[in-house]
Parts: sequence; C-alpha cells; structure tokens
Amino acid sequence: MVVTGRAALLALLATGAVAISGQIGGTVTGIAVGLVVLLVVVDVALAASPRRLVLSREGETSLRLGGSASVSVLVANPTGRRLQGSVRDAWPPSSHGAPKAHRVRVEAGERRRVTTTLTPTRRGDARSAGVTVRSIGPLGIAGRQRTLQTPWTVRTLPPFHSRRHLPGKLSRLRELEGRHTAMVRGQGSEFDSLRDYVPGDDVRSIDWRATARNDSVVVRTWRPERDRRILIVLDTGRTSAGRVGDTPRLDHAMDAALLLTALAGKAGDRVDFMAYDRTVRAQVKASGKGSQVHRVVEAMAPLEATLVESDPAGMVGTVLAQGRSRKLVVLLTDLNATALEEGLLPRLPLLSSHHLLLVAGIKDPKVEEMAAERGSADALYRAASAERTLSERHRISAELRRMGAEVVDAGPEHIAPALADAYINLKAQGRL
Amino acid sequence: MTTAPADTVVRDDPRPASEPTSEARRLWRAVRVPVALFSALLLVGVLLSLGGERFPSGHLEPENPEPTGARAFARLLQEDADVTVARDSASAVEAVERAGEDTVLLVFLDHRLLPEELDALAELGTDTVLVQPSLRALRTFAPGTDMTGRVEDEGALDPECTLSAATAAGSADVAGELYTADDDVTARSCYPADGGAALIGVDSPQGATTTVVGTGTFLSNRDLASDGNAALALNLASAEHVVWLRPDAPEEVGGSEIWELLPTGMLWAVGPLALTLLLLALWRGRRMGALVHESLPVVVRAAETTEGRARLYRSRNARDRVAASLRAGFLERSVPRLGLNTDTAPETVVATMAARTGDDPHHLGRLLYPEADDSYAADDDAMLRLGEELDELARRLR
Repeated sequence: MVVTGRAALLALLATGAVAISGQIGGTVTGIAVGLVVLLVVVDVALAASPRRLVLSREGETSLRLGGSASVSVLVANPTGRRLQGSVRDAWPPSSHGAPKAHRVRVEAGERRRVTTTLTPTRRGDARSAGVTVRSIGPLGIAGRQRTLQTPWTVRTLPPFHSRRHLPGKLSRLRELEGRHTAMVRGQGSEFDSLRDYVPGDDVRSIDWRATARNDSVVVRTWRPERDRRILIVLDTGRTSAGRVGDTPRLDHAMDAALLLTALAGKAGDRVDFMAYDRTVRAQVKASGKGSQVHRVVEAMAPLEATLVESDPAGMVGTVLAQGRSRKLVVLLTDLNATALEEGLLPRLPLLSSHHLLLVAGIKDPKVEEMAAERGSADALYRAASAERTLSERHRISAELRRMGAEVVDAGPEHIAPALADAYINLKAQGRL
Repeated sequence: MTTAPADTVVRDDPRPASEPTSEARRLWRAVRVPVALFSALLLVGVLLSLGGERFPSGHLEPENPEPTGARAFARLLQEDADVTVARDSASAVEAVERAGEDTVLLVFLDHRLLPEELDALAELGTDTVLVQPSLRALRTFAPGTDMTGRVEDEGALDPECTLSAATAAGSADVAGELYTADDDVTARSCYPADGGAALIGVDSPQGATTTVVGTGTFLSNRDLASDGNAALALNLASAEHVVWLRPDAPEEVGGSEIWELLPTGMLWAVGPLALTLLLLALWRGRRMGALVHESLPVVVRAAETTEGRARLYRSRNARDRVAASLRAGFLERSVPRLGLNTDTAPETVVATMAARTGDDPHHLGRLLYPEADDSYAADDDAMLRLGEELDELARRLR
C-alpha cells in the first residue's frame, strides 16, 4: 500500500476541522478519522492491480563504456481499470539509469512503453533489478505498489580508447608488407609476387631467371609471413587490481590487448585470447577469417581482477596444452619481481622452447614521481622506496630478456602503442 | 611484497574472536575515556563541595557575608539586642507583638510588600527604620514627607542636625535618596544635600518614630567600617528588640496548567494529527522498490606497496636502506651512460666517472661505494645531502 501527499493533506484538513470543533470534538474526531481511513481504503481497492500487469522488455543489450543505451519496458494493462501512477525500472547505481521513475497512465486493455536510458560508468554486465509499479487509485490519495521481475542484461564493453592508434600502426604494417616499399627477403617472410623493376628497388631482389623470360627487368617482392598465431593472455590476478591513474591495470591491459587484436587481425594473423589467474576466466579461440575484436571485447566485458595470486605454472601449462605449433604468447601482467620470479621464471624455458613470449607490463607513473621526490627526509624515504621498486622492475625485465622473452614496459598512456610497436617490430624481424 | 591469503591469517589467530566478546570490548574501548573523564570531574566536584558552607545571597541580607550583604551589621546588633529576622510581614508583626515595648522594626525591600501588609506594619505603632522605602511605604509610615531628590557618589555627608543618633555618629555614607517634609509636619532632617535630607525622622500617626534613610549602603559589609556608618546604624537600631524585616520575593500561586487553557477541540485534534503524521511518514518514507546493491570490484592503488615500504623505512629510520637504494638507482641510470655495463667493478666506474666530471675519485668512491661506516647514512641531513649530490652528479653526467 502507498499513500500520496493528498492523503496527508486530507488528514491535515481533518485535524483543522477537529481543532475548531469545540465541545463536539469527540464526534467530529470520529467522523473525520473514519472518513480519511475510509477514503484511503476505497482508493486502494479501486486502484488497478499491479500484480496483474504484463511487462515485457525490448532495447539494446550492449554498449561501449562511455556511451548510452536505451532499454524499454512495455507495460500492458489487461485489467478492467485504468492504471495511473509511476513505473521505476531499477538498475544498479553505476548504470545511472535515467529517469529514475516514469509517470504512466495506461487505459484498460492498452499498453505503454517506458524507456530508461543507461549511461554506465563501469564495465561489465548490469542486470535489471526489477520493475516497480505504483498504481494510484482514482481519488489520487492512495494505491498499491509491487515490484515485478523482467530480466534484462546490458553488457558494457571496454572502451577501446587506443583505437585512435590503429590507423598509424596499420600504415606501418602496410609499409612492412611491401605495399609501399619493396622489401628484401628476410627470415619469416614469404614470397609474394613478381613485378616490374622500378628505379629505387634493391638490385638484389631482381629475379634474373624471370627477367630472362620477360622483356623487362623483374623483381621479386616479399612480404612477412601471414597466418601466424598469437595468444594474448590477460592476467586477472591481484596485481591487475592495482589502480594506475584512475583505472585499474586490468583495464589498461585490455585496451592494449584490443589494439593488438585489431592490428594482428588486419595483418592476417590469428589471435586467441585468454584471461587467467588461477584458472581460465575467459577464452576466445581464433575462428577463420574476420576480425576477432568483437568477440574478444565481448569476452573481456565481464572480467574483473580477483584478489588471488596468479598461478603462472598453470598458465604455462594451459598455453602448452593448446597446441605445440609456434606462436607469439603475449602476457599482459605486472612486472612484479616477487610474483614473476617465483612463478614464471622457472617455467620460462619450457614455454620459450615452443613459443615466443612477450611480457607487457604497465608502469605506474606515480612510482617514478616518487623516485624524483627530494627536499625532506620524508620525501627521501619515499624516493628510496620507489627506487627500490623501479630497480626490481628493471632487474626482472633484464632477467626476462636474458631468458629470451620480449619485454614491453610502458606507462598506462603508452602501453597500447608500445605493444603494437613491439608486435610490428617482431613481424619486421620475421621472428613471429 | 605479497599479500598473505586471507585464510592464513585466520589460521594463525590462536583465539578465534567470538562476536559478542569483541563487540563488548569495542564498546568498552569506545566509552572508557569519556567515563573516566566524567568520573574524575564528579570526584573533583564532590571534593570541592566538601566542607563548603552555603550562605544566602542578596543585598543587605543579614546572613550574607559578601560585600553587599549585611552579616556584619546583624552580628553587631546581636551583641546588644535580641534580633529577629522576619521574611514576611506576618512574622514581622508577630515578632513585634511578642517583643513588647522597646522594639525597633528595620524594614528593607518594602516594595515586596502589599499595601495592606504595609498598613498592618504601620498600625503596630512601633519605632521603625525604613531603608530606601518605596513611595507607598513612605506615605504609609511617614505621611507628609516626600522623596525630593537623589545624590550619587557624594562621599560621606555631615549630620548638621539635632538628632542625637546622627550627631553622635558624625559623618556617614548615607548619600542616596533625599527626603523633604511638608511644613506642617514635625520632622528632623539630617545629612542635608541638594534637594533634601538623606535621613529624616518623623513621628508617625500612631505616635512612634519613623526614621527614613535614603540608602542601605552604609549598612553593607563593605561600608560598615568606614566613617560613622556603624555608629549611625547602631544608634538607629538601639533597642532591646530588633525585628529585621527583609521580605522574600512573593511566590506565584495558583494559575492553571497549559492544557486547561486550550479549547477542547485542540485536545481532540491530537488524534487526527497523529494520523496526519503517520500518512506523511508513509508518503515520504515509502520507496519505489528496494535498494539495488552492486558488487564493486576490488581496486587498490598500484603504488600502495611502494608507499607502504616508504612508511616502513621512515618508521625504522632505515637510512642505510635509503642510501643503498638511491645509490643503486643512480648507478643503474648513470653507469650505462659512461659506456660501461652494470657488472663493471666499482674502481673502474669511479675512475671513469672522475675522468668525465673531474671530481675527486676519493670523494666519488665514498659517495657511490661506501665503506662499512657510511657517513651519508648518519643522520637525516647527511641523507638529504646524499640525494642532492647524486642528483647533481647525474645532471653533470647528462
């Protein structure tokens, strides 16, 4: 049961009437209170029953973080009475559903659509928490309320801010593929085509045998090998929960992973994706042609960092179990000396013997700022602590490189382009 | 730094904390300081109040030892006379009737008395001293006299009259209200000032003497000892019995409770008013559906462990760690700039650096590769100097 401000106003008027009633106060009180209660009961009884309403939903099911999505509820009124009141479509607070409540008026037998706009501020799945219908009676002083369940989920995808780097990296990739400049033959490149010599081509790439058969001088062109396999592994363990700037490491890593996925897709490589801490959290296998980005984004959306120590041994095992064919394994994690020394380093030779490992770590610019602090003993203690963190990071990077892994260590702003550059360089060197 | 998994912490705790105990302990911790403070305050208050005697306060109150009280005069009177302190006119009348012939009635603060009470006192026909009387009292006790002026801060006045009580006492601090008697009244005016006399004695219609004094200041504890104040006071009140009337402020009696004054309808309106409040609460308090909860991910600042280690260093004053850490960081950055690698022997690094910068190799050695007793880790100032010197060196190597 709900009452409106009118019911309170009515009771206030009754109070006023009793106050000036004088000697017959007792009788007036009885009548006034009785009347107010009676009106409230009658109005509740005459309100359309929210229980008998039929709700259904339509609308968007996914959006990128930073955007908005509209979700509608269709309120059908099969009762014989007019539904008058308000409807609230409840969503978790971070979805920022607007408006909070809609005033509705549905005649008997008709239906209305109420649309709520969601502007989520968090990545992941938001589930509808129920639709509350408040039905007010014809007198407008009281009514009935009920919360009905009509499940709907809106998935908020990672924002992919680093998309802006994609055109630049793609043009570098095209240069590499010989569309702009001819390439000499190297390791990891394959024969592409024969074409006429143009001044400026490397004379070493002239195919004399083909030239002999032709009227003009013919050169061979080479391009990097295609259809290489890349496995992106996202560490969702405790180190990923660390906030760098305003965003957790995990989200920076996702951004970098998405840029790499998009780039590798364009370059004709096959991208697998896996999220791992102590078990596989999400997995996307490469499937034929076409961009993987959409599927990877979908898989990333509900991922959150968990407060457990990652299990690199299990990760290495899972990677090796996915086939022995050589691939580039990109591990997005924190270059945390303790975690990597104990877990990854002992198993690195095993992994390196089959695959090429690229470890990408996200630096915290805060630590570098701390390392530069001077001026007081307090600042110096902080600087020393930061220096220690930096030097451990430095040491673990050097150790990884010494054992044959590639290391990309960049701040949150630069990790995505840096990872893309590392990939392009590997491709240029034919090491993929 | 690794965070210990949560279950380890639980297992290591030898006594699993039961919920009520810890709750009670928490409560006790929260209240113990206020309780202790309150007890201390109470104790101090009780100790201070022990042995303290309470005196009535008030202007010219016979029991009041403060400067404005009249305890001294009351004590002086008690040596020679039988003093009765009356707090209302009825007991004053009774005391005067009981005392008999040789009685003086001292009346203070007579504005607190009703006209009929003043009449009753006047009809007693006893010698009366009125101290700064109201006009009504003046008219009742000494008809034909009037208050005609007022002097302030005149100091002591001289008697200049024939009234023996005044001449014997000499000058006194009676400056206050001044009185004049009509021509047809036999009056003895003393202590004249501009506009009248500060003390006037008249014969009342009942045949007794009424003495009117314009102020009671000369009776107060503060002033009793100066000039002829005490003498004048004692002379005015020289009798076998003295009735000291200082009426208490009249108390309010009767009246009705507030609800007796309300119209009956108002009382009945409480019922509907409660209903109004209930409906208001229902109207404003009813939510549109339940609160929606959201499971938020755990997010910590990535630099947390580094900052924690900094605090640890500071709390332990780990200057040696700081020095080692700063030097390691410096060497890591600067040694590759010299064209050496990080595994190069210290002597070579120092020599190369000295050759590049022109610094004293000995000093560089102490700065970068300290001996067992590192002077740079001695105190905070030395540590700060180390930071500055390393920065300076790095700048020059750039």
